[in-house]
Amino acid sequence: MDNLAKHLLQRLMRRIPASMLQSTLDKWGRLTAEKRKSLDFTQSKLTITQELVALCEESELTVKHITELEMIYDAHSVELMQFKEQFKSHLSELKRNVSVKIKKHTDEAVWIRVAWGDGLSRPNHLKATYVVHYLQTPYVFVNALSSKNKPLLLQALTLSTKHQQIKAANLSGQKLTALRDLLMRQYQQVFPTKYPSPLPESDQSISKLRIEKVQAEASANRHRMAGETFGDGMLPALQSAFFQLETKFKDPTNEAMTQRDEPFICSVKFSSSNLLESLRHCASSGIASTPVTPLLSSIPLKGRNYFVITDNVPNA
Amino acid sequence: MNICRKAPRSQNITEKVKPEHLALLVKTEWQLSYVTPLYQFRHTQLKTYARQLSAFIAAEKQQGLAVEVGGLQNTFKVSFSVLQGLAETNDDPETVLIQVQSKPMFARQEDPPKTVWSGWLSCINGNPEYLQSLPKDFTCLPLFCSKGAEGLSSLVKSWLQRTFDCCFGPLDINQTTLQWLAALWTNCHMETNIQKLKMIWTLPVVPPLQVTYTVDSDDALELWRSTRESSAEKSRGAEDEVCIDFSEVTRFMQGLMSHFYRHFRVDLSAGELNQVSSALGSAKLNGKIKISSSRYLISIFSLLTECALLKMPI
Repeated sequence: MDNLAKHLLQRLMRRIPASMLQSTLDKWGRLTAEKRKSLDFTQSKLTITQELVALCEESELTVKHITELEMIYDAHSVELMQFKEQFKSHLSELKRNVSVKIKKHTDEAVWIRVAWGDGLSRPNHLKATYVVHYLQTPYVFVNALSSKNKPLLLQALTLSTKHQQIKAANLSGQKLTALRDLLMRQYQQVFPTKYPSPLPESDQSISKLRIEKVQAEASANRHRMAGETFGDGMLPALQSAFFQLETKFKDPTNEAMTQRDEPFICSVKFSSSNLLESLRHCASSGIASTPVTPLLSSIPLKGRNYFVITDNVPNA
Repeated sequence: MNICRKAPRSQNITEKVKPEHLALLVKTEWQLSYVTPLYQFRHTQLKTYARQLSAFIAAEKQQGLAVEVGGLQNTFKVSFSVLQGLAETNDDPETVLIQVQSKPMFARQEDPPKTVWSGWLSCINGNPEYLQSLPKDFTCLPLFCSKGAEGLSSLVKSWLQRTFDCCFGPLDINQTTLQWLAALWTNCHMETNIQKLKMIWTLPVVPPLQVTYTVDSDDALELWRSTRESSAEKSRGAEDEVCIDFSEVTRFMQGLMSHFYRHFRVDLSAGELNQVSSALGSAKLNGKIKISSSRYLISIFSLLTECALLKMPI
């Protein structure tokens, strides 16, 4: 790497704020994932710059690559700046006396804090709404938003992210990271295979062994299907799932109720410290029959935990 | 446990029981225990008992027994009274209420003392054969309901045990009783709006899964009626004396569980029913009960008296 390239890189590093460094380098893609991982972003900018220069030298990057990095940073920061400005201006147009603070974190998440006031009163900082938007994804997470301010916030978000429409994802919980992981499928997925186990050998053993074998097979099948439906390993921590049921009562042993035209109105709420792990265990232990019903598998597949089920639309 | 019982009827008991007494009992969660018959208990000696229990609590406090209420400066005042009118039959002894009030030592004269603990002993529609079989000196008040600091509960029970030579034990509300309550409360919807029937199950998985199944009251009643109609021996005549059989309760619960299974393919009977509630009250597996309407107080506590009597050693 010649001196010009080094100089350009050092100058560029002084421009890029710490919070945007990691994501800009990721977008640039000129350093391998391994090299990027070796950078410790908690260090001082000066130290990071020195390490980065060393890595670029190793990869034999040139002035051309450094100017590429500069362009990516400029585009990225403009994108973020535009979003920030647009959001602030849209929201202020819709409502006077709001206090908006926007901060970008290193993991592509933009955090927005809105304190609401109205024509007569100053913004109330004790009951602020928090919004988290992951740039490059169509998802927005909201906390502590009153129904009065909801339409205003959603409109400002739609306009500033340049989308047409925003709608509820019907997913809520206490851990932001769990909701994010669930929506973006950032947990260990298990993909179904046609032939999950080697072909069985012909078995000449006595019947007790055969029974055990059948039980073991059934258990293995349940475990496999439970994993395929919900995932493997640690699952994102959802606390509950709510189903409003408005379907007809169907029971062959109860004619009177089965002949009713009106739906049987009831609701079911599942709660647990980690709902997906509980449901997975229900499936693997046989408490829930496998294959898992679409009502329950919709939770991880669709990333939502609020459902209204009617006879016309089985998976509303 | 009876496999057949009368449907609870709405009773206006404000004629029989003072409204201020009823107000003490309803809309409050009580912890249930059973107690064996009390030896030489006299309803005429209540003032003496109050004095003795006060002294006992004070003495135990001095010995350093943790009572946790307020602080060491508190003085406790105990009162025993009769809640007249709850006894249904001639064999039922009158219900006795015990209250412990606390007054901080440096409180002003005008400050009213605060009730920090209450409990009551009762026997409502107790089995007459059993009651009549008891020797003369024994008073049977098998149902003990308490509310307040656990330390005071232990002291009160301890004093009652040594004074009347009796024994206490926890009265858990088991699965059968919870199912009875679900069916009986649904039946009550014919007279009084129960708003919703809510049931809470826990399933034995890791981590434990709680299922809250809430049914609209009109739909629950229709399901209940449909399970009763299918019983061949029902007389369409006098509904007053109509008996509810436990097999009908079972069919009702199975109907609810099968509707659940149709949607979720989860077998609720693999778990445990923990709680049943409606606008009329709530009951929990760990022996906690709340009655929200005085109209069904007698019915529900008759059921609980029966549960308590089943725990008697003989």
